[in-house]
Amino acid sequence: MLEGLVTKLADTPWSIALHESLYMYAITESTHVMSIMLFVGTIAMVDFRLLGISYNKVPVSQMLSKILPWTIAGFALLVITGSMLFLAIPIRTYHSIWFRLKCLMILIAAINIAVFTFKVERDKAAWDLGPVPRKSKICAVISLSAWACVIVFGRLIAYNWFDCDSITSPTMAELTGCPLDPG
Amino acid sequence: MTLYHVAQNIEASALGQTIRESTWLFPAIESTHLLALALLGGAILITSLSILGWGLKTPVAELYKSAHRYLNAAVIVLLITGVLLGVSEPVKLYGREAFWVKMISLGLALLVTYFVFNPLVRRGAAASGLRFVTVLTISAWLLVAMAGRWIGFS
Repeated sequence: MLEGLVTKLADTPWSIALHESLYMYAITESTHVMSIMLFVGTIAMVDFRLLGISYNKVPVSQMLSKILPWTIAGFALLVITGSMLFLAIPIRTYHSIWFRLKCLMILIAAINIAVFTFKVERDKAAWDLGPVPRKSKICAVISLSAWACVIVFGRLIAYNWFDCDSITSPTMAELTGCPLDPG
Repeated sequence: MTLYHVAQNIEASALGQTIRESTWLFPAIESTHLLALALLGGAILITSLSILGWGLKTPVAELYKSAHRYLNAAVIVLLITGVLLGVSEPVKLYGREAFWVKMISLGLALLVTYFVFNPLVRRGAAASGLRFVTVLTISAWLLVAMAGRWIGFS
């Protein structure tokens, strides 16, 4: 079903225009990279605070309320430019193992954010300026690791090592949704 | 010997060849370069947003104590990985306008950051020009990132 949707997407004039316009594609990808500086950069600073290793004179509550809105703005830019990059090359990206791993990491990061928001930070008034609890440190480590993986896997989408035409193992065919060449 | 010959010699070097011929080295270095870029963004923005009145209320000199460590770490990793990327394909870079735009903006960004922005922030200066310097610093680094990505397209 997804496969059909992606194939239809590739045939839209939007997809073809983005794919064929060198400038628009380059501008989109450069904006994607600059938005990483805003998004991952700010979330990393918040995570270093939640680890208790930096900005310890800044209350946790202030770090969250003043910095996270910028993180969200960065995320919005990344989703917009990221969707455009997907739209430009839908079929290949859909089958990319790196793209799939990147989505998995975003999912893990999202669950971590949910746990942090609805459980971990609930009693933050108690540790706003004091030593941070272990649960806060665990969330910070998961966040830093997951977003770092998102950056690396995202960069690797550009490489064709595991494109459909070079896949020979049944496991990889399963993971990428590529047809396994019987020859 | 012209600059072009220098580029040819670097390209022929053992280090250049090793990176070029490996499947994983270039992507690994490139990914590390990108991770350090993200760190740099955060380290610059945490003090900048505060200076511009859109961030933390903590005095910037206090924020700087933590931020400058991340900034220095990011710059060191960016320079090392950047040199390694350059060494693997200097002849290609020599002919690309985006590369030269990046090198000039990088020089500017480093000068503004380390000789103007950082000293002012460290002193917690409320100088009237600080907001201007902050905008200039952010713009310079964004240009570096943009031109860097553009090298791959031109």
